[in-house]
Amino acid sequence: MNSALRTVSLVARHELSDSVRSRRVLVLVLLYLAGSIAATAVFISVLQKIEVQLVSSLGLASAGKTGSVTATLWKSDAFREILTHLIGNRPLAESLLAIPPLALFYGWLSFAFAPLLVMLTSSTRVSEEIWSGSARFVLFRIPRLHWIFGKFAGQALQLLGALLLSAAGAWLTGLVRMHSFEPLATAYAMLLFSAKAWLYALAFLGLATAISQLCAGPNLAVAFGFLALIAMAIVSGISEHFAGDGWRRILDVVNALTPEAHRLDLWWGDSAHFVPAIVFLVTLSVLYMLAGYARFARRNL
Amino acid sequence: MSAALELKGVVKSYGKIRALDGLDLTIPAGAIFGLVGSNGAGKTTAMAVVAGLLRPAAGRVSLFGEGPFAAERHAGRVSLLPQDSRFPPHARVADLLRFYGQLQGLGAGDLENSIGGLLDWVHLTDRRLSPVKTLSHGMNRRLAIAQAFLGSPELVLLDEPLNGLDPVEAARVRDMIRQRRGLQSVVISSHNLADIEALCDTVAFIEKGRLVRQDALEVITQQCHRLTYVLSPGTVIPLQSLAESFPGVTWEPAAGKAEITATFPGRYTTEELNGRVLRLFLEAGLGILEIRRGSDLETEYLRLHATPPPLQGR
Repeated sequence: MNSALRTVSLVARHELSDSVRSRRVLVLVLLYLAGSIAATAVFISVLQKIEVQLVSSLGLASAGKTGSVTATLWKSDAFREILTHLIGNRPLAESLLAIPPLALFYGWLSFAFAPLLVMLTSSTRVSEEIWSGSARFVLFRIPRLHWIFGKFAGQALQLLGALLLSAAGAWLTGLVRMHSFEPLATAYAMLLFSAKAWLYALAFLGLATAISQLCAGPNLAVAFGFLALIAMAIVSGISEHFAGDGWRRILDVVNALTPEAHRLDLWWGDSAHFVPAIVFLVTLSVLYMLAGYARFARRNL
Repeated sequence: MSAALELKGVVKSYGKIRALDGLDLTIPAGAIFGLVGSNGAGKTTAMAVVAGLLRPAAGRVSLFGEGPFAAERHAGRVSLLPQDSRFPPHARVADLLRFYGQLQGLGAGDLENSIGGLLDWVHLTDRRLSPVKTLSHGMNRRLAIAQAFLGSPELVLLDEPLNGLDPVEAARVRDMIRQRRGLQSVVISSHNLADIEALCDTVAFIEKGRLVRQDALEVITQQCHRLTYVLSPGTVIPLQSLAESFPGVTWEPAAGKAEITATFPGRYTTEELNGRVLRLFLEAGLGILEIRRGSDLETEYLRLHATPPPLQGR
């Protein structure tokens, strides 16, 4: 067992260093960072415009600081009541209102785009090595399963780095552009969302690794990765919409097998909600990856 | 001598094409073994099957008498130089070898010594910190050879190892492989029969996924009972006199050349026949330009191709 762990960690370390040296991955991660900064800047601009409009419509004295009206609104009891009614769930509303608005936006951004980043960066990693033949230098030295787990672990570390980098970018943008900014509370919430988005994206990483094990080349793997992403969203949407009693209960099971079904639980602040979601997501991740491995284990290289 | 590798009736198909069609091979431990065959004969497939990269449809593969390749059992004991494989382009030369060595379970001290020695051997010491993508084709090939010998595995499978190497490097690598005789079992597949002849002590001919012939090189090239005499151009060879003087010896003149080959299975020793034939030629006043012992691998391989091959045999 120790030897297996040692092998997996060696492959993971090599995978991480090889991946970050690749220009393609570097460009994608930098694009993700730039996208995160740009989206945050747009969010702040929109927030500023809304605040200006509110101030002028309500005839309030100008606060002059971006975010100060939102911050006041966020803390007002009346607004909390409105939001609670809108969400229809007081604990969840309370949980969301405890988070600074910029961190909430960052959370949404990460949940929405981390799966896409995963498919673009990770779906090629195994198929590329099979296609170029470099896997042949490794697979007479270690078992195939260790190699796959190592590749997965290396990609997971890379994804965590990308999410933390984008969180730092968004946080710095907030620090510079928002005058009413809570640095510590926002940083803490962003870190938490980074971790949750990472765990959420792990399920997609499992899917990307499975696809990569099945495809003959990297381009094909990326194409199938995209298709799988769309298929997952469709399956989740349909199964959630049509789930019900009788035979329709099976749709609940189908939905539970998609990562999307567990995303909402990650928005909760209390562990009773998000811990089961994380367990589900990590299990899904391993299941997806092993489904790909079932074929890869017998594949001709 | 125990077998490092045994294949019995191994079958491997790609769709409708049978790459290996009941291949039998026995490779003695410590031998430098040559695999010879035409394009698509199954040499590369056979190596990939042995290294566990391809799964055979039927037959038995046994490494060191322990069954087919299993990474848990054979990691570090078997290595492969694949034919058309590229290294990860961003990795540095020494880092890559270190990574492979660590995967094999080599300790830090052994590993650094081994890497240093191998890079020196393949003339890549000055490129140890270079990314693989900056290496030429020949350098990549040398790195591939180095990784195959990392940690001195018991069985080394080399698929076209000298392809793309310049003559100086090829000679150097040939020399080093020769030095492994008796220490490691080395299997070499090559289209270059001169390389096989220069390196191997046992050779197998494979065609259409089956073994056609396997023997010691000196048996295949008839080193012990075949002499060829090249005489001055225009010389009339005294065929009758030769036939009368050496009963039991077959004399085969080459068409259009002043050249004759004697085949003498068991009747004379090489020295004995050579002495008597030379005396006869000198007494007849013939000019002798060259004497060749045995045949060469290419001639024997082409001879095998010219006639329908026997089904099996050693």
